[in-house]
Amino acid sequence: MFLIRAACLLLCVLCLAACDRLPQSYPPPEQRQPVAGFNPGPDAMMVSMEDSDADPVIVKDIYPGTGIPWRWTKQEPTVKVLVFSTESVKFSADFAIWDDSFKTTGPLEISFLVNGKLLDKIRYTTPGKKHFEKPVPADWLAGNTEATVALSVDKLYIAPRSGDEYGVILSRLGLKP
Amino acid sequence: MHVLPILFGALFTLATAWSLGMLLLRNLAPSFDAWERRLLAFIAGSACLSEIMFALSAAKLVHRGVLLAVGLASIGYAAYSGALRSPGKAFEPLGLLWRWVFIAVFAGLTWYAFFNALAPEHSSDGMAYHLSEVSIYQHAHGFPRITNDVYANLSQGIELLYLFAFDFGRHSAAALVHYAFLIALVFLVLSYGRRIGRPAVGVAGAIFTYTCPVVLRDATTAYIDVALAAVLFALFYLLQVWDESRDPKLIVPIGILAGFGYAVKYTAFLALPYAVGFVVWKLWRARKPLLGPVLVIGLSAAVMILPWMLKDWIEVANPFAPLANRVFPNPYAHISWEDEWRSYLSTYGLHSRWQIPLEATVKGGQLEGFLGPSFLLTPLALLALRFREGRQLLLAGLVLGSTYFSNVGTRFLIPVVPFISVALALAVANLPWLLLALVAANVITCWPAVYGRYCTPGAWQIYELPVKAALRLQSEDAYLSRDPDYNIVRMMGRVVPPGGRIFAIGQNGTSYLPRELLIGYRSAANEVMQDILLTPLVRDYQPALSLKFDFPAREFRKLRVVQKGSEPEDQWSMAELRIFEGPNELPRDPGWRLTAHPNPWEVQMAFDNSPVTRWRSWQPASPGMYVEVDFPRPQPASSVTVEASDEMVNTKIRLEGMGMDGQWSTVSDHPVISAHPILSSLRMAAIAELKTRGIQYVLIHPGDFGADDFLRYPAAWGLRLAGEENGTRLYRIR
Repeated sequence: MFLIRAACLLLCVLCLAACDRLPQSYPPPEQRQPVAGFNPGPDAMMVSMEDSDADPVIVKDIYPGTGIPWRWTKQEPTVKVLVFSTESVKFSADFAIWDDSFKTTGPLEISFLVNGKLLDKIRYTTPGKKHFEKPVPADWLAGNTEATVALSVDKLYIAPRSGDEYGVILSRLGLKP
Repeated sequence: MHVLPILFGALFTLATAWSLGMLLLRNLAPSFDAWERRLLAFIAGSACLSEIMFALSAAKLVHRGVLLAVGLASIGYAAYSGALRSPGKAFEPLGLLWRWVFIAVFAGLTWYAFFNALAPEHSSDGMAYHLSEVSIYQHAHGFPRITNDVYANLSQGIELLYLFAFDFGRHSAAALVHYAFLIALVFLVLSYGRRIGRPAVGVAGAIFTYTCPVVLRDATTAYIDVALAAVLFALFYLLQVWDESRDPKLIVPIGILAGFGYAVKYTAFLALPYAVGFVVWKLWRARKPLLGPVLVIGLSAAVMILPWMLKDWIEVANPFAPLANRVFPNPYAHISWEDEWRSYLSTYGLHSRWQIPLEATVKGGQLEGFLGPSFLLTPLALLALRFREGRQLLLAGLVLGSTYFSNVGTRFLIPVVPFISVALALAVANLPWLLLALVAANVITCWPAVYGRYCTPGAWQIYELPVKAALRLQSEDAYLSRDPDYNIVRMMGRVVPPGGRIFAIGQNGTSYLPRELLIGYRSAANEVMQDILLTPLVRDYQPALSLKFDFPAREFRKLRVVQKGSEPEDQWSMAELRIFEGPNELPRDPGWRLTAHPNPWEVQMAFDNSPVTRWRSWQPASPGMYVEVDFPRPQPASSVTVEASDEMVNTKIRLEGMGMDGQWSTVSDHPVISAHPILSSLRMAAIAELKTRGIQYVLIHPGDFGADDFLRYPAAWGLRLAGEENGTRLYRIR
């Protein structure tokens, strides 16, 4: 009987010891500051064709990467970018027109599109490396949303043997702050 | 892992449990046949061993040496004291026909079941939490305080037996222990038939139980349902023996098993009222004293039940965790989670409960397993009501199965399978040819090579005979790598260094993961992290609304924003509460005391200046909920702004203040609402919050909400790809 009583007493003491009332009120916590790097770098809205992570943001008309810093496109190479800011944003594209295909196609007219809207259209009369850059109207974009950025090539080079279609050689495409 | 340690781990556990049971029942020889005593001893001894393991785990004494000592001492003392001898009358031998029917079916299915149990364990829940918790306990040598996994708060009576076996033989040893409960159950059913003088009924009932596909599948994994069925049938059995013998010594094991039911699984909480009710009814009718037996049953059961309640009370402030969070509100499980969990488990996505009979017996796709077509004949079992034994069986089945609709998974019918099996056999016992035909039909339709023809593809079932894997002629890794979850946890194990903490919205297979993985829905804190992680992706979560209360400047002791609306489908949330004096926001004084009702534990998230965190009610919004600031001294103020997401419920608020007179009064009933859509990316802010909570890695499955966004813009999140397995990506926080 003594043992039972002692055990009961011990159990009660243990139970009481366990009663740790949870706090119901708290002081203000450490105040969060805006996280540095909300807009992570000038190239955050650019898609580089040498980047192995480029595939998920390619929407269409860009051939798979082969480990070199450029990729062939088809007629309307399109990528998605996440818009971090809408003010003073420029469309930016680095691409090249291949000498041999140029001999077949002649001058190319390339349209530059943002969210399907025509930003500019340029006629390229020579082959070689090209760079295009032009401000995008702020009301074409919405912050913190995805935007599609595209080129549209008017004529395609058809490979004689395979019949594959080629537009331009793309290195980088996207938006720049 | 080789076969011998696995077999040793399982057999040593079984031998220890059996020895303890034989010691417990050694003075009850006259009540039992020699075999039923051995079987009941195993079940009762399992309860004792589980209790010992609870004590060892609480004391952090789960070391291999201690377990060896406990096992050897139990076996040695039982042998020394003569308790292992099993005196008592023996049943009449089975007739030739039924004996060979039983032997043939039992041997055939055991061939399948044994190798499946011995094969590397890869069941869904076994890997996700039954053995995952066991692995954590083994690593910690006992119970660590786990507040970020609701499954760790369930009672784990069988898991503690697994812990004993796991220390020697890892996962497969645990599965073999579970399988041993099925063997014990089948022979108990057989013995019951012999005890009531109907051996054919015993054989048929045992075959119905053993061939039941979901029973056989469950028993060959580290689940616990078949063990529970064995415990409950053993309880029923002991009560029947007590009813015959009125041996008062049986009351203690009856109480132990009644309590052990709860310790195995919450859904068996009715075992105690059933046992008490049975004994009280019988004693009352016999005009015998009630109080003593009832107290003994209650105390014996309490020894099994109370430790689990105390553990939960101490660890997570809720003795019934993870249930009853409305009654015992706590910071570790949200009420909304419990509501959603209960809601899902009561339907499993079925359109109507009328689908249950066919789903649970034949199809098995949505309810995760099937009993076999023979159980469509369950209504026929009502014919057994004409026998006393039939009434007892059906009463027990009805009481112990009455919790089924709280979780309509087929597994949750397993505890009543033996009762229905015997009752069904009893119903047609007077027509031996019909009984034999039923048994034959049942064996054919429930044979593993046959049921794949009619059940839903993918239904939980035994579908292979993995002899090579079981004997480890094929490596565990090769066998388990067929399981996508296993491959993902292996990838995480390779990539994440020891001590690394991973957050995932969902993931199974964690019993093979030697790292800490926090899963979104598994605790309040994890749900908060999931909420934070999704806020950049879900506009409805973002604080796009500003609700401003303007009022003539005056002094307050307290201010609070009170919910006026009642929204059964919506939760109230608040990203920030800002107080102004004139045009300037008051700096948040460390002397302020913040509280909220409900969910005071997360109130700081409405005062942290972060757009990705918010206080949420985590239950439907109702009038009277509030978020409150208590000032250390009289505080002048002239406006209050609430930032919240764009949901109607968040606008139904008023501002109350407590003035110098200590009285609450409404300061403003109509906030001015303005919209401020979030135009900047909140991704890095969200990841920064996870980082402050100790998370170093984030696991994203292809099907997770927002998976594409992580895939396309890891840099925007501040994440770097660390590993990938079949489309599931593990990101390291930069």
